[in-house]
Amino acid sequence: MDDSLPSPGEPRREDQHRTPSPSTLLPKTQPSGFYGKHRLAAAISNLQNQINYLQEELDQLEEIGEASIVCKELISSVESIPDPLLPLSKGPTNINWDRWFKGAQNSRKRWI
Amino acid sequence: MSVAELKARHVAATETVNSLRERLQQKRLLLLDTDDLIEVVAVAGYAKAHGKSSVSFGATDLVCCRTLQGHTGKVYSLDWTPEKNRIVSASQDGRLIVWNALTSQKTHAIKLPCAWVMTCAFSPTGQFVACGGLDSVCSIFNLNSPSDKDGNLPESKMLSGHKGYVSSCQYVPDEDTHLITSSGDHTCVLWDITTGLRTSVFGGEFQSGHTADVLSVSINGSNSRMFVSGSCDSTARLWDTRVASRAVRTFHGHEGDVNTVKFFPDGNRFGTGSDDGTCRLFDIRTGHQLQEYYQQHSDDEVRHVTSIAFSISGRLLFAGYSNGDCYVWDTLLAQVVLNLGSLQNSHESRISCLGLSADGSALCTGSYDTNLKIWAFGGHRKVI
Repeated sequence: MDDSLPSPGEPRREDQHRTPSPSTLLPKTQPSGFYGKHRLAAAISNLQNQINYLQEELDQLEEIGEASIVCKELISSVESIPDPLLPLSKGPTNINWDRWFKGAQNSRKRWI
Repeated sequence: MSVAELKARHVAATETVNSLRERLQQKRLLLLDTDDLIEVVAVAGYAKAHGKSSVSFGATDLVCCRTLQGHTGKVYSLDWTPEKNRIVSASQDGRLIVWNALTSQKTHAIKLPCAWVMTCAFSPTGQFVACGGLDSVCSIFNLNSPSDKDGNLPESKMLSGHKGYVSSCQYVPDEDTHLITSSGDHTCVLWDITTGLRTSVFGGEFQSGHTADVLSVSINGSNSRMFVSGSCDSTARLWDTRVASRAVRTFHGHEGDVNTVKFFPDGNRFGTGSDDGTCRLFDIRTGHQLQEYYQQHSDDEVRHVTSIAFSISGRLLFAGYSNGDCYVWDTLLAQVVLNLGSLQNSHESRISCLGLSADGSALCTGSYDTNLKIWAFGGHRKVI
């Protein structure tokens, strides 16, 4: 018997809602030990399933969190650079961007 | 196992469950500012949720302002100088031509020893051009050296070592002394041009890497130690030039050859184009695929993506397809905003290569119709 644990069946006040204290979930132990073991094992297996499920959910949220930060960053990076090929862009513009539509300075060639 | 041991395990498991529940709750609180958790994983969903509107071009905004004529065979590859207005192009006619794109003049026409060229690149200073192809060799030409008695420019260096065709080459920015090639022998190689030797081999027989022909490379403009490669094995791989033994990360998703890869302007992402008809945007730090660019069609026409380029801010993705289309994608909203292939004066055949000028003011397209064309924005610009 483990003396450090509080007696089973007595939930602590703060554990009323979502966070069961370890001790309240302990199945009552049987004198023979066998039935108790069986139940304990089943309860542990159940808890392990919960752990897997919760971990998976956490991983998914982690990924979404990362992705949303990445998206935010991408948009911010794109919008911070002046782009000569956009009709609407951050400035400043550069007069050289329009050189394709003027005659070259020291040549008689004209654009087609 | 004794009852006492089982009890202890039970206690531990319960504590783990509680702690995970708490972390989940905290995590959910942190994400509360995103409107739609499911949509947010792709850029377009996030951008739409945050009120971004699509780029909108007027009918005469993006125009073809030059047609560079001179090749007598399909154009396979082109590259701009890092500054000024020069372009080098490689063609099935076995020649490299160096153009002044502004004046349309040809400054060099180099007859290649091996006519089967697939790729070409300008060196950072603009003094050298490199090319490679079915001869498995990457040849370097010095544009300032005199022609020989037959009027041909001699090779100043030959980089031999690949056991398959050279599909793509790019100089390492800021140095005329190193370049990276990709090859049909499943490897990429970093070359020291001065000695002509291989500094590093990425992938290949004795190392892990691509498992099929590598078709394209792109070096990170913000961090020249990183480069990305695309392959017939349907993956793209990110490499650190200091670690040749294995790729930093492998990017899955495409369902066909990855024909083209290009780093995004900010250096944290890169784009790919594939035989599966899609382009994709990947993030190099998280490995996430941020967006897929694909337009459904009702017909059976095959549309392989042959080449891509980003505008200087990254807002536009230019993609050339095997059927002659050249879509301009709004990268944030994943919408096609223009098809250069259907504009007036467009190419008469598939666009095989694309490249943006150094200041982002012009796009050059090269085509199987033997021409190159320069596209620029001729409309009215609004500044935010």
